[in-house]
Amino acid sequence: MLIKIIIYAVLVLSPLLFAGIINKVKAIWAGRKGATVLQPYFDFYKLLRKGEVISKTTSFIFQITPSINISAVLFALFIVPIPCIGSIISFNGDFVLFAYVLGLSRFMTVIAALDTGSSFAGMGASREVTFATIVEPSFFVIIGTLSLLTNQLSFNSIFTLLNTSVGYTMLVKLLLLTSLFIMLLTEGSRVPVDDPNTHLELTMIHEVMILDYSGPDLAFIFYSSALKMLLISLIIGNLFVPVYLSLFQGLLYFGLIVFIIFYAVGIVESIIARSRISHIPQFIFLITALSIIAFAVVAFFLRGGI
Amino acid sequence: MNFFFTGTLLFSIGGFAAIFLKEKYKALVFLILAVTAQYFILPDIFNVLISGTRLEAPVQFTGPIGISYIRIDPLSAFFVLIISVGALLVAVYSCAYMKTYYGKKAGLSTYYLFLGILISSMLLVVTVQNAILFLIVWELMSISSFFLVSFENKKEEVRKASIYYLIAMQIGAAFLITAFGWITALSGSLDFSSFKQILSISNTSSIILFLLFFIGFSTKAGIIPMHTWLPKAHPAAPAGVSALMSGVMIKTGIYGILRIILLSGLPDIKLSYFVLFISLVTGVYGISNAIAQKDLKKLLAFSSIENIGIVGMGIGTGMLGLAYNQPVIAVFGFMGAILHVLNHFIFKTLLFFVAGIVYQKTGSRNIEHLGGLTKTLPVTSTLFLFGSIAICGLPLFNGFISEFALYLGMSKGFAMEILPFNIAAVIGISGLALIGMMAVLCFTKVFGICFLGTPRSLYKDNLSEKSFAFIAPMITLSVLIISIGIMPGIFFLLLITVVKQFISTGIKNELFSMAHLYNSISFSLLIFAFIIILFLLIRRLLLMNRSVVKFKTWGCGYQSESSRIQYTGSSYTQPILQLIAELVPRKINVVKEPVLFPKEASFESQSQDFSERFIIQPSIRILDKYLNYFSWIQSGRMQQYIIYGLLFLFFLLIWIWGTR
Repeated sequence: MLIKIIIYAVLVLSPLLFAGIINKVKAIWAGRKGATVLQPYFDFYKLLRKGEVISKTTSFIFQITPSINISAVLFALFIVPIPCIGSIISFNGDFVLFAYVLGLSRFMTVIAALDTGSSFAGMGASREVTFATIVEPSFFVIIGTLSLLTNQLSFNSIFTLLNTSVGYTMLVKLLLLTSLFIMLLTEGSRVPVDDPNTHLELTMIHEVMILDYSGPDLAFIFYSSALKMLLISLIIGNLFVPVYLSLFQGLLYFGLIVFIIFYAVGIVESIIARSRISHIPQFIFLITALSIIAFAVVAFFLRGGI
Repeated sequence: MNFFFTGTLLFSIGGFAAIFLKEKYKALVFLILAVTAQYFILPDIFNVLISGTRLEAPVQFTGPIGISYIRIDPLSAFFVLIISVGALLVAVYSCAYMKTYYGKKAGLSTYYLFLGILISSMLLVVTVQNAILFLIVWELMSISSFFLVSFENKKEEVRKASIYYLIAMQIGAAFLITAFGWITALSGSLDFSSFKQILSISNTSSIILFLLFFIGFSTKAGIIPMHTWLPKAHPAAPAGVSALMSGVMIKTGIYGILRIILLSGLPDIKLSYFVLFISLVTGVYGISNAIAQKDLKKLLAFSSIENIGIVGMGIGTGMLGLAYNQPVIAVFGFMGAILHVLNHFIFKTLLFFVAGIVYQKTGSRNIEHLGGLTKTLPVTSTLFLFGSIAICGLPLFNGFISEFALYLGMSKGFAMEILPFNIAAVIGISGLALIGMMAVLCFTKVFGICFLGTPRSLYKDNLSEKSFAFIAPMITLSVLIISIGIMPGIFFLLLITVVKQFISTGIKNELFSMAHLYNSISFSLLIFAFIIILFLLIRRLLLMNRSVVKFKTWGCGYQSESSRIQYTGSSYTQPILQLIAELVPRKINVVKEPVLFPKEASFESQSQDFSERFIIQPSIRILDKYLNYFSWIQSGRMQQYIIYGLLFLFFLLIWIWGTR
């Protein structure tokens, strides 16, 4: 029990660290020294101490949204299993709750953006939901693939059974890794889909929706988007951690995978340019394509024929 | 049973009584009778739903009908419950909404008269179990709703829409008459229970019969390609009627489909796949068109098509579960479908009520002209937000509960070693996710553009949303939305007997595990709600003694504010409509002077209904061509019509003489 509490405490505290890692990696690749990996924590603390400026146009929705978002991602964290200890909330079909809780936070973010009446925020909101319509079904194809492979319907039991099987599962895992990684880039609003650092509002997606936030609300938003990326990387980590490892080994292995993923995000951001908005749907369709191929592979090997 | 008849009759009596009363009392008398009717109807209904027994009463008719049975089994009871409660809510809402029509005496009388008849006939549709009687009340329902749709018949578009609606209903009825005629010829009896022996044999004729019934009922329900009347009829009708039609009346089509499945016993596997896929297509098609709409009520009508698609997916899953002998899947499928019927009734009625208030307040249904309504209609907007989140199936609200059952029902198919079912399951769950996400897009558009931001035009009307008759039904519905969303267990228990009817084998374990599942969802949702409250408190504490300044929205350096530079609904949906351009064809007309600094420019876009453009209209053109050969029958000369009448009477006499 104690160990569980410690692990979750570390997890809840860690998202900003990973955001720091990405920035550090980018700085190193650009030949700079870069800020310390703890910089996001300093920013977070600074924002929490400030007051707020709220737009006159807005209603109560603008003010409750950041709190709902941070609750949604934290709640989703309880659904994703941790190797060797499982998850806090687990039942058949918990993946639906996972996806839909994040959906609720997306719904709120989007209407909060429209609440400001700013045309830039509207633009970001429009793009965000459009890309989400491609990502969301793919997520369920991925879950379907895993469920077909293991005959299970909850995250916990899927990932427990997944790693005992061998053979073609490696191929499936690699396909799913790629598609989940692209999903991570999309949902975390990273390059090539979105650039969190740009100052050109016209080209932004997620960052432009939160232009009007300040103070503790902004701190909540930063934290939620970092944790959202961590959530997807936790799912990727679960694909690859074998269950036969001991608790300590498993966690170490797991931490290493998550670290590599965020390192990779940093590298991708350093070497790839941001795509044109009109080309982004094609890039996101890769998630759909890869997950469908993964499903087909499983169906072929398990049921003998497509 | 007598109580049920009395209750049913009370609605019609209320309608007739309204004709003779003064304007002020029409609504009141109708409302009082509607409340009394609940007292007569509901006890029987809850009794049936809880105990699972069946009430039955014979009614003696002369002539071709003979003895016919009125039966209330759990399935009927469930629909009676929705109709009865929906009618009551509409009666309350109408008290406030119809005030604008005071001074036009005939208008209000027809409204209440046909409203009463519509409600009574709907109640009978779901309980009558005799082919001829069923068709009579079915037609009565269509015709009374036709008069309600054509309520504002001074407007050309309303007239057109209502006639379109009437024709669509008659086409649907034609399929039903064929099906009922054929099946009574085969079984030799008009009673529904005798149809069982025909439908339960799996052969070509039973499959064709099923399809005929399915097409006939799907016209009412709004499954493609028979859905085209919905987006026309709903905007034309007054808000209360749209709410009743969309929330309740189209469900009688679903009732019909469920009744036929109940009579068929073991469904055919191919038919089950057919139902699943046509419903999936309906869902995706409905919501993609909803996104493109600019008229608020038209958008809600398309969203009804989407939700009927979701219900249909549940039915399809349930049928597959029955066909493959997997009671778990069948339980989840049918439970999902029935819960979604209930949920859709709740949130769609709420949304139409709000749309009515918005229309009376602003005089416009065009989303592009609205905006900033949270400031003028705070309570209504908040309730609309509840409805929107619920209709997207997001957690804490009721839509999630039914969609969850569907997701799980389809996902259970992965464990079966049948490849087609596995593929259907993956297409099903990803399709449902697509529908859900597009619903998010659609309703963020509606809520964001209409209710948030700053007003795009001036609203002159000083209508008060605080009127009791507006607020009471909407609050009731919102309370239901949240209580089903957080405590699904209670409502699940109420619907168990309905699902049990469909599955012949014992399903105690399945139901038990499902109840257990809903408890764990309920528990985790409470945790979620707790976390939200916690963070709202934290934010409150953090900001307690700090400066919270109100300032204008950051315009990226642009200083002059204007409500016209806000993002519009069209620009909001432009990226997605570009992705699905084939599904939602649009006519775009751009006028721009070909010079460097154009002074005038205009942009116009109009979305078209794919199936209307490529299926309905071409077939009408072909029909037109051939039916023209018979146009001499309808010459317009009175003498000729009198001859027709005489000929008919003559043959009638011969027929009667012959049968003697």
